[in-house]
Amino acid sequence: MTTKDFLIKWLAYTLALLPVWFLQDLLLSRYPLLGVKPMLLPLCAVAVATLEGSLGGAGFGLGVGLLFDAGAASVPGISVLLMTLLGLGAGLLAQYVLRQDLIGCFLCSVLALSALDLLRIWARLVARAAPLRPMLEVAGKEILWSLCFVPGIYLLFRWVFRRVPKATVL
Amino acid sequence: MKDFLKQNGILILIIALLLTLIGAVLSFTFGGVANPFANLAGVVTTPVRNGIHTVVEWAEGLYSDAFEREAMARELEELRQENARLKAEAREGEEASRENQRLRDLLDFQQKRTDLHTEPATVTARGSSNWSSTLTVSKGSASQVEAGDCVIDQYGNLVGIISEVGLNWSTLITVVDVDLELGGLIARTDGAAIIEGDFTLMGQGRLKLTYLPEGTRLLAGDEILTSGLRSGGEATYPSGILVGRVAEVRADEGGMSEYAVLTPATNLDKLEQVFIIKEFEVIE
Repeated sequence: MTTKDFLIKWLAYTLALLPVWFLQDLLLSRYPLLGVKPMLLPLCAVAVATLEGSLGGAGFGLGVGLLFDAGAASVPGISVLLMTLLGLGAGLLAQYVLRQDLIGCFLCSVLALSALDLLRIWARLVARAAPLRPMLEVAGKEILWSLCFVPGIYLLFRWVFRRVPKATVL
Repeated sequence: MKDFLKQNGILILIIALLLTLIGAVLSFTFGGVANPFANLAGVVTTPVRNGIHTVVEWAEGLYSDAFEREAMARELEELRQENARLKAEAREGEEASRENQRLRDLLDFQQKRTDLHTEPATVTARGSSNWSSTLTVSKGSASQVEAGDCVIDQYGNLVGIISEVGLNWSTLITVVDVDLELGGLIARTDGAAIIEGDFTLMGQGRLKLTYLPEGTRLLAGDEILTSGLRSGGEATYPSGILVGRVAEVRADEGGMSEYAVLTPATNLDKLEQVFIIKEFEVIE
């Protein structure tokens, strides 16, 4: 695979990311279901990691983290690190423990979303910013609502995956 | 045939003359009504003529369709474009009308509060996280907006506090965000308290008033204003900005003290335009 192929491939993944980002930040954030907004960008990192493996997942996770940081008022840089780790972890899991298909992606998504929300809960508990029970409620609803989007996001990235060169040369 | 005419020619001529004569007499007799011969001819030929007329009309239709269809399609397209343009103008008119109303409301508020210098901004995005309540607005450091500036709606109700400033954008935490904390004033009693966000209430779009003055009995609907002080006691925010109204009073988990649940005065879900207070005069 040439450098051009490599660039085209990741450009295609980035373009596929845009409608998901648009859906999350401009549409679903405006019209939350029962007051809950889904987390879609981490699912993109997980989907690509499932298809491309740990290295590709980590790289794409880094890009998703940058976009996440740009859209959310969070500690700068923390999303980049988290999403990179998520991509890496999901890629390794899908490659060596689970399967590189929709079920593997779904299981990785459950783990990724749970890890993210547990981290948030832990940070707020340490800072004594909120009690545990309402945070668990929010996390539960958020994870369930987000998981509804896994098949759509996985199919979108699989569609891209089938149309781009497979071997990644760095 | 020649022989036939020779033998019967006179007879035929006579019959023809007779028929002519009868026709003339009948025509004269019935005056204006078709004579039986003409009538018979009409009855026989009318269906044929009708059929021919239909065919001709159909052919004419085809002809005009072929030559006028293009013109009609062009005209239809022009009408569609005109319709779209008029609709767009109507939408722009409605938006301008709404903005005009917002500015009128703000003007009304500013006439009462001449100590505030505001910068209008549009709400461009809403936070996508369930763990905070934020809005992104269209003005930033290029418009001298700074972190910590208060943001109000056109009625002068507190919307939130600017938390992050970019060149041409800013992010604000809304009044229901867990990180919000500022001095409050109970309008009816002049008692001071602390306005703060609460994680549980944030999901319901509400906030709470804590450290209530001893012996104060709050009533549902009591208005809570900004006192102008942060928890440290410094004058950071303008005073007298309406934050919300008391919805209910609850006891805290230990049952030792009470706090009030407030409903924000501003409608966070419907906000389109806000006004950032860049400067204000401290009223002693």
